[in-house]
Amino acid sequence: MTPEAADVLKGAIALVGYGLAAVGPGIGIGIVVGNAIQAMARQPEAAGMARTTMFLGIAFTEALALIGFVLFFIA
Amino acid sequence: MFASATPWLLATEAAEESEGIDLLLPESSELIAGIIAFAIIFFFAWKWVFPTITKTLESRQAAIKAGFEAAEAAKVEAESLKNDYQAQLAQAREEAGRIVEEARQAGESVRAEVVARADVEAAAIKERATADMSGERDRVAASLRREVADLSLDVAEKVVGSSLDRASQQALVDRYIDELGGLGS
Amino acid sequence: MESVILAASECDVSEEIICAPKDVLELFFFEDALFTIGGFNFTRTVFLIFLAMFIVLGLLYFGLRKGEKVPSKFAAAIESLVTFVKEDIAIGIIGPEGVKYAPYLLAVFMFVIVGNLFEVTPLINFPITSRMAIPLFISLVTWVIFVFVGFKKNGISYLTGLIWPKSVPIALRWLVGIIEFVSTFLLRPVTLAVRLFANLVAGHLMLTLLLASGWIFISSVGDIGARAIIGLPWFVFGLGIYLFEIVVAVLQAYIITLLSAVYVQTSVHPEH
Repeated sequence: MTPEAADVLKGAIALVGYGLAAVGPGIGIGIVVGNAIQAMARQPEAAGMARTTMFLGIAFTEALALIGFVLFFIA
Repeated sequence: MFASATPWLLATEAAEESEGIDLLLPESSELIAGIIAFAIIFFFAWKWVFPTITKTLESRQAAIKAGFEAAEAAKVEAESLKNDYQAQLAQAREEAGRIVEEARQAGESVRAEVVARADVEAAAIKERATADMSGERDRVAASLRREVADLSLDVAEKVVGSSLDRASQQALVDRYIDELGGLGS
Repeated sequence: MESVILAASECDVSEEIICAPKDVLELFFFEDALFTIGGFNFTRTVFLIFLAMFIVLGLLYFGLRKGEKVPSKFAAAIESLVTFVKEDIAIGIIGPEGVKYAPYLLAVFMFVIVGNLFEVTPLINFPITSRMAIPLFISLVTWVIFVFVGFKKNGISYLTGLIWPKSVPIALRWLVGIIEFVSTFLLRPVTLAVRLFANLVAGHLMLTLLLASGWIFISSVGDIGARAIIGLPWFVFGLGIYLFEIVVAVLQAYIITLLSAVYVQTSVHPEH
């Protein structure tokens, strides 16, 4: 395998890796936001707290996708 | 494969120029610029923006409060002024009523006076006229009497054929007429 | 701009269907210094950083300078922006003592929102927050603030509460402790920086790729004839992404400010 081909292959694998890394957080963020919206709909008076917690939850969940993004560039 | 030894070297060099990891590492000049810029913004926000906006909001709040108070005071003043005006208006209306009433009474009395005076004058005129008329009548009656006496004497002379004692006959006729008049009146 | 020209020179419009530069990373590097002062390379990005600074200072200064009783529309907008950061983010999330952090949060918000909006500003078209320097610096400052505040408010129990949480069953305590420690002290600053950076990198890439492709295809209509129609969907798609990126720019500025406030709040009241 030529070094160029190895480079291309490495880039492609990194791309697949990032794609896989994005699946979990995608589902997770969906769950977090969905439940946050339910909470806001049930208790609109606590919407501010639910929104803050939602952003915090998104931040935690999204961390995995962001790590994948970083690794894609490092690879 | 061995022919590509030189391109491989070039490729690694090119890759080193802009490897993916480079995107994730801050460049020193940009980092320094970012720190300076951010620090300036932070100090500006800290030392100027928040004191200024606090002052602005406070002065605005004070101005709005003062405005409301002034409006309240103006409203109270307007209310009292309105009451004053209403009181004055009522007073003026009363005054006007009183003046009209007085005028009416004055008019009434003037009218009564005028009527009374007119009555008196009319009565006086009537009296005078009556007096004039009665004087005239007396005068006419006296002259008529004389006339009648003369005429009756003339008629009697014609009948008798001689002259009568004018003076004594005259007296007689007059007495007779007086008697007639006394009966007639 | 030069990268767009580079892409144009390398793009074979008679063969390709989209004009991607050979190395997308060169969209983010402006190596050529405008001038150099004692080893400090004054590049286009550095110039844009200072431009963003002056824009932020100008907006705040001219918006708040007069402090009139009845503000103009511009002044009212700036005032509501500042009060939004102060009341809704600083005080609303951190609590009454959050007013201390309002200047920092305002600086973060204004600097990042202007830097982000450079992405969709004509003639600039480059978000300074897509370079790692600014997101990294801001997230490191936030990290220092929340760690410092955590130790100042709670003493050593801030650390022990994180790595030895009493509310968790003892069997799991060490595991939760490790996760909490890593997530608080390592992942928080990294993700805070990378979130902003990654969003802006992706947005800038999309915009450059789509709008440049569309433009190159349409402008080379003389050479390739009917093939130039390929550029039209790229261009339309690019304009759609352009509008989307305006939303992303504002939202990411809000999120980095909000998360900075949330992180400080978790240090002020760690029991939550």
